[in-house]
Amino acid sequence: MPTSRSSPPGFWPSRRQRTRRATHITLTLLALCALLAISAGSRAAEWQASLDTRLVSSDAGHSLMDGGLGTVRFGSNDEGLQLGRLRIALTQHLLELWSVHLDVSAWDDKGSNPAGVTEAYLQFRPYPRDGLRFRLKAGAFYPTLSLENRATGWESPYTLSFSAIDSWLAVELRTIGIEGQLDWLGTRVGHDFDLAATGGVFGWNEAAGAELANAGFTFTDRQTPLFDRIGRPGVPPVYGERPFVEYDGHAGVYAGLEARYLDRVVLRVLRYDNRADPTVQDIVSNTIAWETRFNSAGVRVELDDGWTAVAQWLGGETTIAPPGLRLDWPFRADFALLSKRFGRHALSARYDRFSVRTNNEEIAGGWQDGHAWTAAYVFNASEHWRFTLEWLRVTSSSYDRAEAGGPPLRSETQVQLAIRYAIGSTLR
Amino acid sequence: MRPPARVRRIQALIRLAAVVLAVLGAGALAVPAGAATLVINVRAADGRPLPGAVVTIRPLDGAPRKVAPVHAVMDQVNRAFAPDLLVIPVGSTVEFPNSDVVSHQIYSFSPAKRFQLPLYRGTPYPPVHFDQTGVVTLGCNIHDEMLAYLVVTDAAYFGRTDHDGAFTAEVPRGRYTVGIWHPRLRDAEADLERELSVGETDRADLTLRLGKSLEPAPLIDRPHSWDY
Repeated sequence: MPTSRSSPPGFWPSRRQRTRRATHITLTLLALCALLAISAGSRAAEWQASLDTRLVSSDAGHSLMDGGLGTVRFGSNDEGLQLGRLRIALTQHLLELWSVHLDVSAWDDKGSNPAGVTEAYLQFRPYPRDGLRFRLKAGAFYPTLSLENRATGWESPYTLSFSAIDSWLAVELRTIGIEGQLDWLGTRVGHDFDLAATGGVFGWNEAAGAELANAGFTFTDRQTPLFDRIGRPGVPPVYGERPFVEYDGHAGVYAGLEARYLDRVVLRVLRYDNRADPTVQDIVSNTIAWETRFNSAGVRVELDDGWTAVAQWLGGETTIAPPGLRLDWPFRADFALLSKRFGRHALSARYDRFSVRTNNEEIAGGWQDGHAWTAAYVFNASEHWRFTLEWLRVTSSSYDRAEAGGPPLRSETQVQLAIRYAIGSTLR
Repeated sequence: MRPPARVRRIQALIRLAAVVLAVLGAGALAVPAGAATLVINVRAADGRPLPGAVVTIRPLDGAPRKVAPVHAVMDQVNRAFAPDLLVIPVGSTVEFPNSDVVSHQIYSFSPAKRFQLPLYRGTPYPPVHFDQTGVVTLGCNIHDEMLAYLVVTDAAYFGRTDHDGAFTAEVPRGRYTVGIWHPRLRDAEADLERELSVGETDRADLTLRLGKSLEPAPLIDRPHSWDY
């Protein structure tokens, strides 16, 4: 494939890279300390910290972060005790209408940096007037798309592993730019429904879609920190793909609409196009820009008695066009999730389907077909402690796995017991 | 032996409270001459008693009765307005303290009163004056799920129905219009207005049944931190 496929000089990080890592940790920690210091002096600062540890049992292949083609976050080589996520988040209100949010996480020792920023943005929230409200976000954040990941830190309150759609967003997608939203607050002026329109302009997105073409959909809750690297089949993250890069000079755009019925039903549609020029190659990183566009539609319904249903669909295409070639990978994923809360307990089940196609199997390879079942039990013991047990089975057939000498069709099962301890000023 | 001073003070307070209650009770029982007890029963569309409905009663004849303005308090507790509905006479003031650790930015864009008020813990703000009648819908610019209502009324008698869906008022004999309002009402308010005469008897009853079912109540068991 015409992406950077040069073999790495060494699989494991060198001393120089370790030094660079240490510098990076120090800088991240210093930035955090500075923010904490600013927050400590202010009356309106809100903060959260959490440690999520996992006990993992898995028969899956090596994950993407180990340079493998496994479809789940933890492969059989990761069995045992693992760090799920160590997270610190700060929200600082500035003046009356502005706020800054910073989300820093450590996931494992597989990335090129031990800790990183998953979201960092400035938000402007003027008061609504006559039922209309405008909001502006600038920085790095997730587009308004997921109906599942509604908890703080862009997590799902229903399962540990995200759906195929949200896993892909976690790995490769972030708005690094600005997003504006206009709300019509109908429920505040005597109607049963609200409406919203969202639009975003962003850069640093040339690699969005590369993971789908290289490895296909996966199931993870690891969110790639900004400007960090992820693995590619046969390549560990240190030399892997950088999802957030900019070199073609084209800004991407998205536009979405949302309708809500009271606080019960949310409908969302979004059109996304990173408008990358698929012919542009970056000499320095030896990569090519991936032109990725997709549509998504989803609905979430919540009832009085603790039932929640979420269904979402996403379909699109990613393209590269090195000289004399045009390679397309159409992709599609959808899921349905059903969850029932019983006080502090919740039971959830999700069914995912996903596929990646290609217009030129010989050169492009990379097709994938599969489905997955997820079942999870969450016990919110207190505002500090949460226990989750999750079972996930992904059955997929993959061209790349066959190419790598494995069986094309494979079922992978991952069971996780998660214990999360959280502290902070805004827990619930 | 005499009990300690603190106990004696408490005993004195209890005696005082008992006297006050007795006087108040006697006052409440003594229906003024020419007055009657008006009982408004509000029923939901399915016939069950509707608690919490706002009832307003206006005399159709005789001099209008002015209700003195009050000073009310609507606090912010656990990211919710407490209480989430107040009925106040026109001209009243409402204070909005914040008992939460987090900040709130409350607002209203209702025609009866437009205002914005950032609420930081421990920072008091002057009370807001409500000098026009109407329903004032309150929200928080930071926490979308927060919702409350102020019903500013010039009615002679007003209040909310109790657990059994009843509201009782002592009114002079005469003719009245009775109105009903509820935050989740689907009926037009005009459809629920009734006229009645309080005549010979000491007690008049009116049962009002909504034509349409209420909107579903807001979900309350979702964690506040969820995107809603």
